[in-house]
Amino acid sequence: MSRDTLVSFEGVVKTFGGFVAVKKLDFEIKKGEFLAIMGSSGCGKTTTLRMLAGLEAPTEGVIRLSGKPINDLPTWSRDTPMVWQSLALFPFLNVRENVEFALKMRGVGKAERRRRAEQWLDRMQITEFAERNISQLSGGQRQRVALARSLVVEPEILLLDEPLSALDAALKVRMQSVLKNLQRETGITFVYVTHSQSEAFSMADRVVIMSRGVIEQIGTPQEIYRTPRTRFVADFLGSSNLFSGKVRSGTVGFELDAAVGTLRLASPATVGETATLTVLDTKTHLSTTAPAGSVNAVPVKVIGEEFVGATATVYLETAQGQEIRVQKSHDELTGLPLGIGQPLYVWWNPEDGHLVGEG
Amino acid sequence: MRRPITLYGLTFSLPLLIWQVLFFVFPLLFLVALSFWTVKNFVMSPDFDTVNWTTMYGRAVFWQAYGNTLALAAAAAVLTSIFAFPASYAIAFKMSDTARRWAVFLMVIPFFTSYLVRIYSWQIFLSDNGIINVILGWIGLGPFQMLNTVGATMIGYLTLAFPLVVLLQLFSLVFIDRTLIEAAHNMRCGRLRTVFEVVIPSARTGLVIAALFCFILAFGDFVSPVYLGGGEPTTLSILITDTTKSGQQWPRAAVIALTMIGTLMVVAFAAVKFAYKGKSK
Repeated sequence: MSRDTLVSFEGVVKTFGGFVAVKKLDFEIKKGEFLAIMGSSGCGKTTTLRMLAGLEAPTEGVIRLSGKPINDLPTWSRDTPMVWQSLALFPFLNVRENVEFALKMRGVGKAERRRRAEQWLDRMQITEFAERNISQLSGGQRQRVALARSLVVEPEILLLDEPLSALDAALKVRMQSVLKNLQRETGITFVYVTHSQSEAFSMADRVVIMSRGVIEQIGTPQEIYRTPRTRFVADFLGSSNLFSGKVRSGTVGFELDAAVGTLRLASPATVGETATLTVLDTKTHLSTTAPAGSVNAVPVKVIGEEFVGATATVYLETAQGQEIRVQKSHDELTGLPLGIGQPLYVWWNPEDGHLVGEG
Repeated sequence: MRRPITLYGLTFSLPLLIWQVLFFVFPLLFLVALSFWTVKNFVMSPDFDTVNWTTMYGRAVFWQAYGNTLALAAAAAVLTSIFAFPASYAIAFKMSDTARRWAVFLMVIPFFTSYLVRIYSWQIFLSDNGIINVILGWIGLGPFQMLNTVGATMIGYLTLAFPLVVLLQLFSLVFIDRTLIEAAHNMRCGRLRTVFEVVIPSARTGLVIAALFCFILAFGDFVSPVYLGGGEPTTLSILITDTTKSGQQWPRAAVIALTMIGTLMVVAFAAVKFAYKGKSK
């Protein structure tokens, strides 16, 4: 365990009766990082967070905080404040009293409590609402109260369980930058559970992708996006340009015998094994004639297109009925016939392809 | 917003209206009228005389009974709430769904037996030669006077109100958002402290309403103060029976009854206001 490790999960298992929520977790959280744990519902991400908070006890394994095992420590003896999905603000207390609550529980004196609460109310720009009831606040204001309430004790780590899921899209984006800035300025380790790829990838330094109680991949958003480790991750991230087949050795290097034809591989692989090749939709290109040279080309038909801002996504279909996506700027697409049913070629350089495991 | 009165709306609201007029407004108005009647030679005659009000309000006995009743009912509300809370807390938070259903069922069972019967059976336990004193006698204690004491009256009030108070408290406790409790624990608030810092404030409305029900039941109860308390101290309910028995003074009893209704209305209004304080603004 390195010196900058704050939390480590060592062989952690959690079962509820016969149901296995978390199969086996081994990972570390570094001091001062923004870590997102991401996965679809039921993947064990919230259970993982709750175990760290001390709200669930692991069935097996050890969780360490700053090197010390905390398995037997109840949540009120750990300093792992959490922000709930429902925010869990106390409706019978006003904003100021909510923010002061954790300090009061620690026996901080009245004047000191007020001073520190004031600081955080000011920092979260909710000073003017200090005497209001929770029910009188908007969603975004409640969010800020919840953050102030958890951060007022200046913890080493903050746990967040999908806190933005109830907000509308515009507010969500604004709160994302608030959270990210807050994390950077305070240097507090954030562990953020979410099912949203955009939230995880836009805020986190590292992302943990979970599926059915196991970790599929840990890495920076760039790493995960460019080189998904398993087919599950590639699928989960929504990359649709996936080609499965058997690896064989070709004339120049390795090849993949896929349904759409033979595809060249740029990296070494095990001959005879089934593998999946993925190509980012930003690395694929379109042409009206079969491209020459050592590129991979697949004949396709246009099935639709979508414009978002300055970029367009062209949806295509192979003869086998597989969907392929190409993302380009408008300029790059001018001159190409894109009517529905138009036959085209999709091509990419073998170096832009990436092999993933069959996980 | 005012909606026009339609035949359809009237059809559904009329039975309630008739019910209220027939069983509440009419008897109340009659009671008000009765309180101004006069009694001569054991015969009541319709009249408009304030003599009943001035006589009753001028008597020290009346105000003593009034004070006694208020104090007893308030004590019953507080004590029953305190005794009931651990039970309702355990049922709400420590039991499985199946166990909770059984517990609720068990709380309803006492209502199957007449309250009077339950009070009489307390006499068997509490009297000087009763079960408790006999058992205490075996180990060389007592006998203690338990029957005809304020404590016995209190036991009667508990018998009357306890199951209802538990059910009412339970109803507000089961609806507490569990994440609030987790959040409190998460912020270094221990188990016991969470009960006072989060559970009680969250359930305040229900807890106050439960105490109010206990107060109302105890305030008007006649059975416990007579059969367990031995008529001492005198409560308003005892005073009413005494007044009607002595010289057919129904109008004066009406004065007492109206005073009780007025008091309960004030208390109920204040309690409800306190229960919902800071809500739905």
